[in-house]
Amino acid sequence: MAGASLEIDRVEAAYGPVKVLKAVSLAVKPGEFVALLGSSGCGKTTLLRAISGFVPIASGRISVDGRDISRLPPDRRDMAMVFQSYALWPHMTAAGNIGYGLKLRGWDKPRIAERVGQMLAMLKLDGLGDRMVTQLSGGQRQRVALGRALAIDPRILLLDEPLSNLDARIREDVRHEIKALQNKLGITAIHVTHDREEAMVMADRIVILDAGEIAQVGSPEEVYNRPASAFVASFMGAGNVVRLAARREGDGIVLGAGDLSNEIRVPVGSISGLAGAQVIAHFRGEAASLGAADADDADRLVLRGRIAQASYPGGHWRYGVAVGSQHFMVDDPRRLNVGEPVGIGLPLSSLHLFAA
Amino acid sequence: MANPRLIGLLLVAPALFAVGALFVYPLGFSVATAFTTKEGVVTLGNFHRAFELYSVDIGFTLVIVGVSTLLCGALAIAIGGYLTLGENPRAVAILKWLYRWPLFIPFVVAAQCMRTFIAKNGLMNNSLVSLGILEPIQTTSLLDWRGIVITFVWKQTPFVALLVAGAMASLDRSTIEAARNLGAGRLRILVEIVTPQVLPTLVVALILSFVTMMSVLSVPIMISGESPTMMTVDMAFRINAYGDYGTANALGVLSYLMTGAVAWIYLRRGIQQGGRP
Repeated sequence: MAGASLEIDRVEAAYGPVKVLKAVSLAVKPGEFVALLGSSGCGKTTLLRAISGFVPIASGRISVDGRDISRLPPDRRDMAMVFQSYALWPHMTAAGNIGYGLKLRGWDKPRIAERVGQMLAMLKLDGLGDRMVTQLSGGQRQRVALGRALAIDPRILLLDEPLSNLDARIREDVRHEIKALQNKLGITAIHVTHDREEAMVMADRIVILDAGEIAQVGSPEEVYNRPASAFVASFMGAGNVVRLAARREGDGIVLGAGDLSNEIRVPVGSISGLAGAQVIAHFRGEAASLGAADADDADRLVLRGRIAQASYPGGHWRYGVAVGSQHFMVDDPRRLNVGEPVGIGLPLSSLHLFAA
Repeated sequence: MANPRLIGLLLVAPALFAVGALFVYPLGFSVATAFTTKEGVVTLGNFHRAFELYSVDIGFTLVIVGVSTLLCGALAIAIGGYLTLGENPRAVAILKWLYRWPLFIPFVVAAQCMRTFIAKNGLMNNSLVSLGILEPIQTTSLLDWRGIVITFVWKQTPFVALLVAGAMASLDRSTIEAARNLGAGRLRILVEIVTPQVLPTLVVALILSFVTMMSVLSVPIMISGESPTMMTVDMAFRINAYGDYGTANALGVLSYLMTGAVAWIYLRRGIQQGGRP
């Protein structure tokens, strides 16, 4: 069965007096893989639970293929969810867990056994059907949970941080497996995660939530390269922030950090909503390069500072560079000494500029 | 410096003495008395007499306590299930507040309450008559084996429900949500998902209730004085009316065997779980 479309229209939800979702609207196309990304408490899990029916919505509408399901109980929404804790039933075998949804749908035993066999084979769990789930490893349990959700052939698959309990190495494999399965089966998938890389690798579109509101929706490249706000830029890894003075000159804006940098000229349209004389620039450590402290390049902002800290995370060196009273993390392949004066070279394309 | 072994022994001595004097000695004495005549000759005569006079009561005791235990289990699952899966917060709060009350009422008081409630002219029948559900001629007294079962179930269900509801509350909530998400209704979740997960706790609570109900004297005496009755009443009668400790102790040994059988289930479960109680 192909995936269904999902429309979320101005949905609001609250825990007591605390509003957790504030007029969230989102349209998901059939077969699309959407990741809900955000830090703890941003409302991403609440949104997923509102879709599945476990959190009642205060207002708004949730519909699947145009049919309003906002008031339906969870057991009548025909969605399948994979939980963070896997939520497997410890008194059942792996096959019992996978086949339970089919039993609820009134399938006869031979048909359930056949379908469970297919799921076990698809998830590389051959021979483990008769094992109690308590005897399986974390990765195997995760697959059983996925198998249980997929066995009923759902049109919408909900994934609530299903990989967060796995080892880093297994997690990378499972990411690709889930994505490949979703592609193959054509199911619509909504995936909640706080792991940026996981969202980037798995999703067709990423929805970034901040304090119960959607901060940005876009493809992984869009949200990574063109963050719509300072929050999204920080969340997507552009964690170095520098405040720059801005002044208009003809058809451009000249930016600089006073004595701590050179000046560069950017087009007016590159900073939306600029009204005052201050700009906040976000950049990623890996997009910068270290060079001479006195370099002055017209198309690169050069922040002048000194190496304050050095570490080797693998593949390159990571430096803490002190510029005035601020610290920036910058990656560079060369080995440099602590105390050495350097210039952090930032091409215009590496800067995400926002009005202060 | 004092011998640490001696200090250890001194520390456990009061507890050991209490167990020995208050439990092991009376138990051993009772068992020995069950197998001897008044003159001290070893015999099975006490058991012979116990079976001859009270075999119906022995069976009656097992049936009453067994049925009561099963009913306690069913009601406790229903109460725990509603507390765990109920969606009306007010009803859940009221039930949570109400169901524990009988825990704090002694058996003898519970029996007295039941006498006034389930007698032919008791509160229950009077209410049913005034509501027009029963005619006065149709009313019957439940002060027989049914009364004993009702009292036992009323008194013991809260205890079982307390343990079962606690176990249900500590379940991973997402195991319930996972079943709901796949389309299971609440009754089905209670039967197929929740109860199997709390089964070990339920079994322990039922075993403890079984043992408690086996030893109650006040309820059968007050609810149903007529024959057949429970073994505790027979034991009291043999001692008070005839000073016949031999037969009373023989009945006592049979009670031990019944409770011992269920205690064995409890201990076997403990061993399976690596010695945890």
